[in-house]
Amino acid sequence: MSQNASNDHMALSEDYVRNFFTYADPDNEAMLQLYRIGVFRTAKALSAGWIMPDEDARTARNLEYLRDNFEPGDVSVGELVSSETQLASFPDIYFRIRKVLDSPNSSADDISREISNDLGLTAKLLKLVNSPFYGLAHTVEDVSHAIAIVGVEEVSTLALGISAINVFKDIPQELIDMKAFWKHSVSCGVFAKLIASRIEGMKADKFFTAGLLHDVGRLIIFKKMPYASVQLLLYARENQLPVVESEEDHLGFDHTQVAKQLLTEWKFPASMVDCLAFHHAPSQAQDQLAASILQLADNMANAMEISSGGMYLLPGMEEGAWERIPLQGDDLVEIVGLFDSHIEELFKAIL
Amino acid sequence: MSLFSSSKLGSGTRTGGGATAAPAGVTGGLASGITSGRLPTRQLGLRKTAKITDEEFEKLADFIYNKTGISISIKRKYLLENRLGARLSELGLKTFKEYYDYLQLDKNRAAEMEVICEKVTTNETSFYRDARQLGIFQNEILKETLAKQEALGRKELFIWSAGCSSGEEPYTLAIMLHEALGMSIIGWNIRITANDLSPAMLRLARAGVYTDYALRTTPKGIIAKYFDKVDAGYQVKPRVQKLVQFGPVNLSDPASTRRVPRSHIVFCRNVIIYFDDAMKKKAITAFYDNLLPGGHLFLGHSESIHKLSTAFRPVPKPGAICYKKEE
Repeated sequence: MSQNASNDHMALSEDYVRNFFTYADPDNEAMLQLYRIGVFRTAKALSAGWIMPDEDARTARNLEYLRDNFEPGDVSVGELVSSETQLASFPDIYFRIRKVLDSPNSSADDISREISNDLGLTAKLLKLVNSPFYGLAHTVEDVSHAIAIVGVEEVSTLALGISAINVFKDIPQELIDMKAFWKHSVSCGVFAKLIASRIEGMKADKFFTAGLLHDVGRLIIFKKMPYASVQLLLYARENQLPVVESEEDHLGFDHTQVAKQLLTEWKFPASMVDCLAFHHAPSQAQDQLAASILQLADNMANAMEISSGGMYLLPGMEEGAWERIPLQGDDLVEIVGLFDSHIEELFKAIL
Repeated sequence: MSLFSSSKLGSGTRTGGGATAAPAGVTGGLASGITSGRLPTRQLGLRKTAKITDEEFEKLADFIYNKTGISISIKRKYLLENRLGARLSELGLKTFKEYYDYLQLDKNRAAEMEVICEKVTTNETSFYRDARQLGIFQNEILKETLAKQEALGRKELFIWSAGCSSGEEPYTLAIMLHEALGMSIIGWNIRITANDLSPAMLRLARAGVYTDYALRTTPKGIIAKYFDKVDAGYQVKPRVQKLVQFGPVNLSDPASTRRVPRSHIVFCRNVIIYFDDAMKKKAITAFYDNLLPGGHLFLGHSESIHKLSTAFRPVPKPGAICYKKEE
């Protein structure tokens, strides 16, 4: 490739990637670094023959046929969540595990028995913990071994995260691209864990689950209000807004409020609920650092999607969130390098 | 025990494995050919505009709200900075404070409000936008209303298109009236009052010349029947244009909305979504007061008056909802 062509790609890429950062603080070191990474990756993708979506595609101008009416404001967070908990369509494996955890004379063996009953789940769980990404010194042969190494709470929340992927498969594909949703979730989990593992005193494994489930509230919205969801996704693209903002405009609430109520009712570990519920507003979290890490991971996952056709803007970071995380901008480049070397294998293992 | 910070005894101490300790060579796609931590794009900056301070943002947002009813939350600070930033350099201004003063004092301040409206909203519109909703209008509500008027011996129909942007919506409605009435339209007194905040939009609307893009969802037969091909694109025919009267109306100003003739049908699509609840209520009240008893209101596909007003009766139809003012 000639130098000129490469310069062209760079210029195209700059203009294109900038669009995705209009919601972010341009002086934030992390956002700046993600912008540079995004430009570099996009230029690279262009050189490899990737076709950049034009403005019509990005702003969904040709998707008018998808429009429908619905009554926003008809549904409150409470109604949405209570209909979900009544149906109990969410993975009941979690409730079975929860029951064992809550019973005073249960052992790790009881939990491992519950999980092992679900063969599909067990296979994915073992693939995941045995991946180089997890980086365990020895091969884990079964669930009880995993519990011994990774911990009871971690394995059970991870089990929920993995089973959630199956449960929400029935959302109509023509409405919402669930594959992209889960890829984003796994990517966010990988980033959250990679970030946390660089910070002293953080339990990195839990961040993977937190990332995997960070948008769990969105699943409930998709499932209960598929048409409203399409509208708010279209609106986000038309108006070039992050999806979380579009949710607020359309529904009067966003996915973090749904997640908070749902996971609280399910007696999810309080610190996990706290982290998920405030990943768009870490200053309101009990553990502000943990929520800030998840917010950064979410933005990183979004930034990676730009060069493969992602259509949604980075939600940006709350003021002060990046400053809480003891990392430098250059660390993000290394984290992205590690992400690249693990991500495909992880998609294969659990999606 | 906190879930996210490790305790000495917990499993957290066991996680120092592969991820962080991966050898430098295994850093995959991004880092290939790059020294760790260094990118060839490291000179690029993300800031292209002046910085807006919280105080400047607050003053500007208040000002825009008071003038237009458009509400911009502090979360959209960078969005506003980004969208208006380029405008500052065009005007040769250095800070948002200077821009705020310009909006207060400059002789072009009225024109500048238009620019702001354009920057903070989308003027995304086209002929025959939201086909299903327009179908409900044409095949049901319009038919019923015309039949009722005819039965009453009053062959007149008034429609208000509030927030008409560059004219696509009111002209679409005018074309539908021609389609519904055919030759007999001559015996009718029809008036579509079309408003927008922006004089620039109104100028475009009055000119009535459109590109292929604006007509992309319009049936070919309709284009042939109601448009003339001109150099710049397609010109709306005079018989369509004469049904529509354009003028500026500010929905946040009751004195201004009261000047609109009372209507049988009001269209206001993709406008109130930019408003906060107080302003939405004002607009809905203006529509209610403007509508004749038995009249209908059409809103945008994602807008609702639920929670805002119980005065209207929602009329759900397949593919669209409209709102009826009771007789």
